[in-house]
Amino acid sequence: MIEAKKIYIFSPGLRVWHWINFLTIMVLFFTGLYIGNPFFLGPVGVEATYAYREGITMDFIRKVHFIAGYVLLASFLFRVIIAVFNKRDRLVFPAVWRKDYWTSLKEITLKYTFIMKDKEGYEYIRNALARTFYPLVYLMILFMIATGFAMYGMSKPSSFWSFLLGWLLGFLGGEFSVHAWHHWVAWLIIIFAVLHVYFVIREEAIKKNGELSSMFSGYKVFEKEPVDIKDIEE
Amino acid sequence: METFWETFKRHGVSRRDFLKFATTITGMMGLSPSMIPHVVRALETKPRVPVLWIHGLECTCCSESFIRSATPLASDVVLSMISLEYDDTLSAAAGEALEKHREEIIKRYWGNYILAVEGNPPLGEDGMYCVVGGRAFLENLKESAKGAKAVIAWGSCASWGCVQAAKPNPTTAVPIHKVITDKPIIKVPGCPPIAEVMTGVIMYLVLFDAIPPLDSQGRPKQFYGNRIHDTCYRRAFFNAGQFVERFDDDGAKKGWCLYKVGCRGPTTYNSCGNIRWYNGLSYPIQAGHGCIGCAEEDFWDKAPFYQRLTTIPLPNVEASPDKVGAVAVAAAAAGAVAHGVISKIRNKGGK
Ligand code: HEM
Ligand code: HEM
Ligand code: SF4
Ligand code: SF4
Repeated sequence: MIEAKKIYIFSPGLRVWHWINFLTIMVLFFTGLYIGNPFFLGPVGVEATYAYREGITMDFIRKVHFIAGYVLLASFLFRVIIAVFNKRDRLVFPAVWRKDYWTSLKEITLKYTFIMKDKEGYEYIRNALARTFYPLVYLMILFMIATGFAMYGMSKPSSFWSFLLGWLLGFLGGEFSVHAWHHWVAWLIIIFAVLHVYFVIREEAIKKNGELSSMFSGYKVFEKEPVDIKDIEE
Repeated sequence: METFWETFKRHGVSRRDFLKFATTITGMMGLSPSMIPHVVRALETKPRVPVLWIHGLECTCCSESFIRSATPLASDVVLSMISLEYDDTLSAAAGEALEKHREEIIKRYWGNYILAVEGNPPLGEDGMYCVVGGRAFLENLKESAKGAKAVIAWGSCASWGCVQAAKPNPTTAVPIHKVITDKPIIKVPGCPPIAEVMTGVIMYLVLFDAIPPLDSQGRPKQFYGNRIHDTCYRRAFFNAGQFVERFDDDGAKKGWCLYKVGCRGPTTYNSCGNIRWYNGLSYPIQAGHGCIGCAEEDFWDKAPFYQRLTTIPLPNVEASPDKVGAVAVAAAAAGAVAHGVISKIRNKGGK
């Protein structure tokens, strides 16, 4: 048996980004659900003019949503910047022009349909399905930021955000449609998260390769040399 | 042509009343008080502008709204500020003589008149779903637009298509910007638009001889810059989370926010919250009914009006986005567990 090898994959910046991103999205999702359908009422006995500051009101929940929105934006920009300076952090781009992407796509499909066993075939730093879906996730997050700040900005028509993104509302067929899109994509992100967590746990349970802890430690364990190792070598 | 001031003098309006009028309309046009001298100057020097007002597929609610303008009175606008040369629903004359008159005006004021379009052209069957004076309105529209200085799209019909363009749009009705592509178009949407907004737009065009500042969708910013929601007097109830749940509940009686019964105020740009209707008397939300978003693109297709978001049309179920989302997440989780169990069995042994 070949010596198992510990390989350093995720930079500290990426790991910090991942968890901040996860936490903000959770906050955004649950506050967003309330904004979309305020299923409990605010303080009913208080004069409306003053009631907005009594406990958990729509005003408060929207404020949390917007603050988390700014955090999401900041962490997204941070994620882009580290990708510019660090080769490891560019792992996210799908290498469709390379042969190993297509071999991996074939292998991972066979594995997930139980035709191949997981330990057969090549090893990869990142399999082709993950390579395909992560960029889409980044796009969904970017979409949420763009539509979110477009709606947010129009509260003040002369603001920076409405100048930058106001056109998006008309482009997507009016603000009502933008709300609907923002709402649907929120659910898509959550569906991704559920499947994402599953595949992480699955990888860990079958290969015991440190997948689950890799987003904390930065390392994963490989028994063979991964064929796409060049993606993370300096 | 005589200037406004000359017309006013002829009607016996005093200088004092004239200045009052100038001050009022400055506010109505959404301009700051520092603009009053410019408005006075313009009223003293600018000649009246010929306007051609044509009607396509429509319900004439824009005209109905317009003639109820209180500030300034529509009659003032029609009789003194613009010279409304042609309007087939308001004019006393009718028939061939009137149509002839339209052609003459186009020739006489070529390049100088304003074309106001109410309603829109259906393209189906060569435009035969809307015929004016024996010809397709589509032809009328193209012909009248050719010599116009600028075009006003009255109401949601001309701006977006409105009810006749709602799915499935049997006559292929289209907003006028699909037909007129070489002229500046000012969209004044609403079903109908607010009367004071209509007169405000005309006055701006006439007095400054320029298109008012437009937003990215072609609407005048001073009237369509804000959401109903951001100018709504019920907003305090929204912020406080005090919502009407049904139209006969306690909250409805207390005048709480109509968000949960489908109010489109949060996604609609119009002046109903500040200018209001009928000389500032009221507006739909004040009367206890949610906004239906009548000034927005394709608002008919964004039904049901009494729900916050549209549902997906599945047979026999109320498929709200949150229900569909929750079911999808549950299905994904269940699928993951099943897949996980099989994966574990399949990969047993041989480590
Ligand atoms: C909203 C929730 C989440 C989102 C949007 C998300 C997004 C992502 C993205 C985009 C990557 C790829 C990073 C890159 O290389 O650019 C990633 C990797 C990863 N995530 Fe998440 N994540 C979420 C939740 C979680 C949770 C809850 C866990 C813990 C179980 C987790 C564990 C991991 C691990 C272990 C990786 C590395 C996997 C690999 O490279 O194949 N994630 N995540
Ligand atoms: C992944 C991230 C996000 C999720 C899951 C999310 C989720 C949601 C949901 C479910 C809604 C309710 C939509 C509706 O029915 O009208 C909403 C509304 C909204 N979100 Fe987000 N959102 C995210 C990011 C953002 C960002 C970055 C901003 C920018 C500030 C933002 C601003 C808004 C605004 C302005 C609204 C409408 C609030 C209102 O109508 O009062 N969102 N969000
Ligand atoms: S009634 Fe409508 S426009 Fe007014 S605050 Fe409520 S949701 Fe907004
Ligand atoms: S409140 Fe809404 S639906 Fe009513 S007139 Fe104004 S924009 Fe149209």
